[in-house]
Amino acid sequence: MLSGYWHFLPEVLVVAAALAALFGEYLPGKDRGTAYLGAVVAALAALLVAFGGTAAPMVFGQVEPDGIARFARTGVAGLTAVWLLWVAGRGMPGERRREAVALALFAASGGMLLSMAEDLIVMYIALELSTMPAYVLMGYRRSDVPGLEGSLKYFLLSMLTSIVMLYGLSFVYGISGTTAFSGIDLSAGGILGVIAVLLVLVGLLAKMSAAPFHYWAPDAYAGGAPVAVAFVSTVPKIAGIAVMTRLFGAIAPGVPALPLVLASAAALSMVLGNLAALPQSDIRRLMAYSGVAHTGYLLMALAAGTSMGYIATVFYAVAYAVPSMAVMLVAAEEGVELSDLAGLARTRPWVAWSMLVWLLSLIGIPPLAGFFGKLYLFGAALDAAMVWLVVLGVVTSVISAGYYFRVVREMFLAEPGAGVADAADGAVVTARSRSAATALVLCAVATIAIGLAASPLLASLGVRL
Amino acid sequence: MTETVNGVVFAILAFASIGGAIGMLTTRNVMHAAFWLLEVMVAIGGLFLLLSAEYLAVVHVLVYAGAVSVMMLFVIMLSLRRREDAVRPVDVSIGGAVLAILFGSIVYIAIAQYGDRVAEMPAEAPDTAALGELLFTRWALPFEVASLVLLVAVVGAVWWSREVDR
Repeated sequence: MLSGYWHFLPEVLVVAAALAALFGEYLPGKDRGTAYLGAVVAALAALLVAFGGTAAPMVFGQVEPDGIARFARTGVAGLTAVWLLWVAGRGMPGERRREAVALALFAASGGMLLSMAEDLIVMYIALELSTMPAYVLMGYRRSDVPGLEGSLKYFLLSMLTSIVMLYGLSFVYGISGTTAFSGIDLSAGGILGVIAVLLVLVGLLAKMSAAPFHYWAPDAYAGGAPVAVAFVSTVPKIAGIAVMTRLFGAIAPGVPALPLVLASAAALSMVLGNLAALPQSDIRRLMAYSGVAHTGYLLMALAAGTSMGYIATVFYAVAYAVPSMAVMLVAAEEGVELSDLAGLARTRPWVAWSMLVWLLSLIGIPPLAGFFGKLYLFGAALDAAMVWLVVLGVVTSVISAGYYFRVVREMFLAEPGAGVADAADGAVVTARSRSAATALVLCAVATIAIGLAASPLLASLGVRL
Repeated sequence: MTETVNGVVFAILAFASIGGAIGMLTTRNVMHAAFWLLEVMVAIGGLFLLLSAEYLAVVHVLVYAGAVSVMMLFVIMLSLRRREDAVRPVDVSIGGAVLAILFGSIVYIAIAQYGDRVAEMPAEAPDTAALGELLFTRWALPFEVASLVLLVAVVGAVWWSREVDR
């Protein structure tokens, strides 16, 4: 019965490291050592997943470590490792690190489990485990009133939508008589099946910060420390997208209205996110709205409902998360106002050029990760004959270049400012560090490498090119 | 005979839970609302008992009537400065009414569609041992992960509430 349980080894390692981090006081190197330990274990877990192979559903069919799960779990563990490496170098502003390290590792283990969930109960509990640490990380600076407000808003809305989702899941269970994804069949439910799916979507779309449930994201992110936002806005998203492909793969055949609902949410997210990002001067708000827009692109391929669409979605979730986290980490180093980046090309040229790579990838310029990601997304939507959605996606991508290039202009053309304004209130960490620099370089390399290795990666996800 | 007795007990408990919920929503004093909630929880525990689910009944009363309600009272006690603050104005908003109608109609559709499909009750109610066995075999994975979720909540609460020591 225990055969195949080694597939859980990465999760077990990550949880063990999280528990060890709680006792960071007794570890060699204290806080810094704790963060390094977490980074090493998370990287090890990512390698184990990447080379661990796939398997049929296990544990009473509740989890399935297939190709999609492998890709998403590698992304979650790898990005957590990069984030912890950065934290090991620069630390959490105004706080000790060990609890943050433990919480990030718990969130990572929840995300990894969520990526392979094949059962409603496992999905819900893993979703909670991957988002619960986020509330804490977002509002940990108690003296910071806007931060607490944003965190509270995030917590209350997330909990409320979770309850709505549970309500919907209870109907899904009632109609199909099972909690296993493989047994879900809503075709008998008629209108009740549609209602159940809508209720479930409220919860999932809110957690993914998709329109029309996105309005918590800019406020919550603008209140949080940028280093916390870097983690919260990227890592749980990969796992959430992965489980959405699994759940919708099971639900879609019984609910003909699902593609239309997802397509409308996608269109709304792309338009609202990109237009609202245009006038922002706070990088956290800018990236929050850009995140809404990118969730829109992801939903587009989910709406397609084909296996190619699902694979493209998971691929793009990782291709989006890497540069997005890196941009927020730079904001954590330099300051959260756009003007804090002024003259970055002169003061720290390699950071500015890395930023250029990430921003170009987010726009979707070849040969970077974002270009191939969007190519596959749009291709999947075209195959499903959703031409209007693809046209909207291309147009909004062009619009998005407007605000990304404002960042570029600030870095390369503006004069260096008078130093970091936010250093006084402890929002950013100014101390230079080699391991934080390594984390940023890793992100830049990954953004290029995912783009160059797009076809073998897609083949590992199960696409015959 | 037992049918009638069960029916009478059910009627009392149903009245207690629905009436208590209405009482909770209509009272203007938050303290009274907390006690109404306590009453609803105890009544629902009684409904579980009626279904021969002793374990669920006990846990429900312990957790919801005990821990959750007491926590509510603590929150009210700690967050209200003056006695008068406990009385809130009656808030009838259009948004609330729309949500209530929406959720009410969902429940109505569910009952209209599936109300006649009542599951067959087993002759003998499965005991607590069967529940425990299921929890530690088939549902062991989510059960253990739930403990991690609780651990995260505890760590987060401690991290937030401790004094800044540097």
